[in-house]
Amino acid sequence: MLEIEIDGQLVNAEPGEMVIAVTDREGISVPRFCYHKKLSISASCRMCLVDVEGAPKPQPACSTPVADGMKIHTQNDKAKASQKAVMEFLLINHPLDCPICDQGGECELQDVAVDYGSDVSRFSEGKRIIAPSDIGPLIQTDMTRCIHCTRCVRFGSEIAGIMEMGGTGRGEDLKIEPFLKEGITSELSGNMIDVCPVGALTSKPFRYELRSWQMNSINSIARHDLVGSNLYAQTYKGNVKRLASGDNDAVNETWISDRDRFSYEGLTHDNRLLAPQIKVAGQWKEVEWDVALDFAVKGLKNNILNSRNVQKLGGLASATATTEELHLLQKLLREMGCENLDYRLNIKDLDNAIHLQSNIKLADLEHIDQAIVIGSNIRLEQPMINHRLRKAQLAGAGITTLNVKEFDFNYKTNDIIVAPNEIANTLAGVLRVLVEKSAEEVPAYLLAVTPCAQAIDIASSLLNSDKTVLILGEHVVNNAQAASIANLITEIAKLSNSLTLNLTVTANALGAQRVNFVPNSTGMNVNEMLAAEMRAFVLLDVYPEYDFHHLDEALNTLLNNDVFVISLNGFKNDLVAQYSDVMLPMAAMYETSGTHVNINHEMQSFSAAVGAPGESKPAWKILKVLADLLELPGFHYENSTQVLSEVAHQMTPVHEYDTAINLDKSTVEVETIWTHSPYHTDALLRHATSLRASKIGQINTASINAATAKSLSLSDSDTYLGVPVDITETMADQCVFISSNQATNTGAL
Amino acid sequence: MISDNAKKQIDSWIEKYPEGKQSSAVMEALKIIQKENNNQLTHDSIQAVADYLDMPGIAAAEVATFYENYNHQPVGKHIIRFCHNISCMLNGADDLISHLETKLGVKTGEVTDDGLISVKKVECLGACVGAPMFQIGDQYYENLTIDKIDKIVDGLK
Amino acid sequence: MNEVCFKNIDKDQCWSLTTYEASGGYSVWRKILKGEYTPEQIINELKTSGLRGRGGAGFPTGLKWSFMPRNAEGQKYIVCNSDEGEPGTCKDRDILRFNPHAVIEGMAIGSFVMDATVGYNYIRGEFIEPFDRFEGALKEAYETGLLGKNINGSEVSFDLYAHLGAGAYICGEETALLESIEGKKGQPRFKPPFPANVGLFGKPTTINNTESFASVPDIMAHGGQWFADLGVENSGGTKLFSVSGHVANPANFEVSMGMPFKDLLELAGGMRHGAKLKAVIPGGSSTPVLTAEVAMNMTMDYDGIDKAGSMLGAGSVIVMDDSTCMVEALTRLAHFYYDESCGQCTPCREGTGWLYRVLKRIMDGKGKAEDIDLLMGVQEKIMGNTICALGDAAAMPVESFLRNFRDEFEYYIEHGKSMVKG
Ligand SMILES: Cc1cc2nc3c(=O)[nH]c(=O)nc-3n(C[C@H](O)[C@H](O)[C@H](O)COP(=O)(O)O)c2cc1C
Ligand code: SF4
Ligand code: FES
Repeated sequence: MLEIEIDGQLVNAEPGEMVIAVTDREGISVPRFCYHKKLSISASCRMCLVDVEGAPKPQPACSTPVADGMKIHTQNDKAKASQKAVMEFLLINHPLDCPICDQGGECELQDVAVDYGSDVSRFSEGKRIIAPSDIGPLIQTDMTRCIHCTRCVRFGSEIAGIMEMGGTGRGEDLKIEPFLKEGITSELSGNMIDVCPVGALTSKPFRYELRSWQMNSINSIARHDLVGSNLYAQTYKGNVKRLASGDNDAVNETWISDRDRFSYEGLTHDNRLLAPQIKVAGQWKEVEWDVALDFAVKGLKNNILNSRNVQKLGGLASATATTEELHLLQKLLREMGCENLDYRLNIKDLDNAIHLQSNIKLADLEHIDQAIVIGSNIRLEQPMINHRLRKAQLAGAGITTLNVKEFDFNYKTNDIIVAPNEIANTLAGVLRVLVEKSAEEVPAYLLAVTPCAQAIDIASSLLNSDKTVLILGEHVVNNAQAASIANLITEIAKLSNSLTLNLTVTANALGAQRVNFVPNSTGMNVNEMLAAEMRAFVLLDVYPEYDFHHLDEALNTLLNNDVFVISLNGFKNDLVAQYSDVMLPMAAMYETSGTHVNINHEMQSFSAAVGAPGESKPAWKILKVLADLLELPGFHYENSTQVLSEVAHQMTPVHEYDTAINLDKSTVEVETIWTHSPYHTDALLRHATSLRASKIGQINTASINAATAKSLSLSDSDTYLGVPVDITETMADQCVFISSNQATNTGAL
Repeated sequence: MISDNAKKQIDSWIEKYPEGKQSSAVMEALKIIQKENNNQLTHDSIQAVADYLDMPGIAAAEVATFYENYNHQPVGKHIIRFCHNISCMLNGADDLISHLETKLGVKTGEVTDDGLISVKKVECLGACVGAPMFQIGDQYYENLTIDKIDKIVDGLK
Repeated sequence: MNEVCFKNIDKDQCWSLTTYEASGGYSVWRKILKGEYTPEQIINELKTSGLRGRGGAGFPTGLKWSFMPRNAEGQKYIVCNSDEGEPGTCKDRDILRFNPHAVIEGMAIGSFVMDATVGYNYIRGEFIEPFDRFEGALKEAYETGLLGKNINGSEVSFDLYAHLGAGAYICGEETALLESIEGKKGQPRFKPPFPANVGLFGKPTTINNTESFASVPDIMAHGGQWFADLGVENSGGTKLFSVSGHVANPANFEVSMGMPFKDLLELAGGMRHGAKLKAVIPGGSSTPVLTAEVAMNMTMDYDGIDKAGSMLGAGSVIVMDDSTCMVEALTRLAHFYYDESCGQCTPCREGTGWLYRVLKRIMDGKGKAEDIDLLMGVQEKIMGNTICALGDAAAMPVESFLRNFRDEFEYYIEHGKSMVKG
């Protein structure tokens, strides 16, 4: 610890710290543009110049390391003169079009100019104007306003991991722009909007809408993945107008993914379900809430309660629901005596379901020194988790991936490409090496396993590293050996002292687990329900063609005239309309209060940023009133916080599961892995127009290698299961990997 | 996009730098490609160089637009790079440039109709004691006079 | 005259290894290979010699070499700055053309002192002939077993390569130069960290000018004191002065430090056509311009030029006679800095253009009375506020031209035409 003097005040500082870090901590304001606490130092804007006693020239606070006894003046004549000089230079070529600039009111340049600018510019030589350019659907540019701070450039190369923006030309002609004709494509690109101190990079969907001071800013949580990034929802007259990242070092630091930033656009999509509807004689009719709820209650009574066949009632929910909603639905069902409930709609075979702990914290991911990623295009599927891994890799960690396809990572990986039916075997090889290295006896199921070279490599990388993590991704959820793969990973983790991260569940699946939204031994799971003779369902935010693995069976069951279906949805959906008897419009993300359980097992609560549109209501309220009308006890909640405290007081359920490992391979000739492309994983995203228009939003490919394509008689111009075929040598044999922005092809899987 | 011959030349530059630092060769690689491509760089050729050196396209574009020796507009087969900085100016460079412009019927920055010659005013080329001077290709021509210029230019084909 | 870098300049094939060795070249390096020197000895000799960096800043070379963490683990680099781009400067080109082996040997000696087993010579992109000469010399040196790994079975290794620039004055700034070798835009790095700690490819690096390196072999061969005695107090040795402009015989002259300017002018044949001396820029375009009177009383050494109110810089003497329009001359220089600013930092990116445009406007006959104050104000705001010294280099001529020749600027503004040329 050293002591320095700033503006006559003695303060402590850590050796190696930059002056600006100290002034920021002490609340002494030093103007800056290029400095950003999460980016490398460029010291180029020169706005932060301060006077350091003994130094002949003014020194930039952002890049001057503290030294014991240093005396700094941030406000004396010398410092002020430099700061004013820089401000004047910055303004000579800046358009000063603040009244029409989207950054107006939150512009760092504007703020500083008020303090440092002189009112009359003596510059009369004609300003620099930069022709507008289109860099994609998410970011609006106005480079005439750019002050060349290079934060966006550094963000790209340092954080996003792909250098997309750069500074071309030199001197006055220096121009910040992307090189690629397709513009900016990174999955984290929107952060450039946040880092840009001026209105050069702004949100394209938000363009020209409002000034920042007209909006309310509400803390919220993103819910598209397991991270639960902290953000601000900026609202105006009941609509979310823009999202900006929030600071939380344990979760998202100061970044958010584009998925989290731009999904709000879906909230105002025409396709919102806005009024309760009931189906009378096959015709949909908009009705008042009490009518609709009455209709629902009557339906439940007629089909289930009156005939006491509650075992023919089922409740299904999507994992995008809030913890409170999930809790209320399970409570409602269980109070009626119904144990048929599930959220795992996408699992082909629940006897072969993955059980794997997540026991590493997000922030710790960046401190690991070896990660094995299995079955995940983690960069696009879990952008913020990938960001942590990237940091680890840059700090020297080894990242090995075991995938059916070589994906494009933004850091160095060691990619092992294996067919889906070889994953378990490869991992078994790893385990065998580890077992042999330990003194333990080789279990029977490993006796026939001969570790391949790659398995030996993985095993030694795990043994030779201190902090290791095994990450299992969504591509294996429906692998024929899914359960065994998960169990193998658990065993490998034990022997190699590794932590594990289970990314096969996403959104608020951990919330669903927390409230035990799965049947006990007396109830039916989703696939059993779909095969049984059912009489009624309550469906929470279910979009069948995207959510059910067994879509045919689901439709068969749900479309049956004898089955009474109550659907709570935020968006209209044709299939939902076909099979439902009542449709209850529910509030979507940012329109309801609730809680999301993230990968750190933290319960992150949020309040509603805006009211729900039309007649739609928060699902927790709908479920509460439904329960009241059914005269079920214990639903006297006044707000969602009371629901949450009930959850908090309950024990986290513990389930026994089968830890057996079975290495029999599937006999399917060509395995197909179907995944929703990154911007199509939930209903809100599917309605977010700008995201859909982005490059990642357009991903819709069935990847296949030439040999397999030949065996299926497919060429590049064909589709497979309705998805355009992409023949690539980066695929394993005998499998097709689909990342699609379409609905699952009915019955094809 | 990159010819085998160009690859060979680029590779010989890559060898000068430590393992993994092949992007150090980008400046020469761009020159080599430019030479093969009518003295001009295109978007695609910059990308090709970037790909070959395993660096982001924009990083190669930054280099290609930062340094003065790359051309992004059509230029002549021969580019006369006429110094007009102080020592040359003191020695009459401006008049000589005017003479050259009249002789060729082009302004600086333009290409003669036959595509043979373009003239460019450049900053100090580091031959001030030989002022006035210009450079054509790899060659410096110093202590220029009108006669000397005429002879040199007439010899260009 | 011509005792160090240029000592062989009149010989046939003066750039060849044969010529170089015939005059004692590589004798020091061969001794080093035989283990007859310690790094400390060399540094001491350099310190005694009073050699100061010939690239412009005049930092004592021996001291600079002593800053390198010689014993630190890992790769270290030695880099020669042959970017030579400052208007008025053209000496390094001739060293490369006529005495490339001195540069190689100087760098080799430095590499040994600093344990930097790899070196690069950054040669400006336009210097193809000098580059070819240097490459030729490198080839000779490798073939003769003077370079490489474990040279002649010794513990000493040194690999040296030439890197070519592509047209950017700023790459002469040492950290921009390092960026450029790394295949990036030549944008200066902020310091700290200094290259001696974090330099090329992130490794400790020392950068010196071509002439600095080329002076080292003779200093070591004849002793530091010998070199110091060639010059004067505080300015040891000889120095190459590039005398250009309105002189009868413009050329590079290697003369003893401390030579009176008027003698140097004499060497350059005096004023061309017997014209009257009006102004002198003594150290390259970025050093302050001096009036004839001041220049004629000045000696050509660090202190002498400093006393006269300018800087020795790279020893680039630009001589102007009374036909010179100072407004035009300054406008040309301002254009240069405007054109060459890398664009990275605000005062230089925005300020150099501002300076140039105001001057250009004056030249176009649209000057305003307040422009002189404006120019003074802008240059003052650039001065000292930039990452590298290009900002200062752009500001200093403006200040000195306006101070020394203010009447010409006032005349131009008032009459819309040059006081000198009409
Ligand atoms: C804008 C600018 C241009 C420079 N150009 C050169 C140059 O062309 N050659 C050179 O040797 N030094 C040049 N320098 C100085 C170098 O930064 C550095 O000080 C020098 O190469 C160190 O070598 P020395 O100690 O041997 O002089 C320049 C500095 C600045 C700020
Ligand atoms: S666009 Fe914005 S963030 Fe990027 S350099 Fe310009 S001002 Fe900085
Ligand atoms: S914030 Fe320090 S130079 Fe930009």
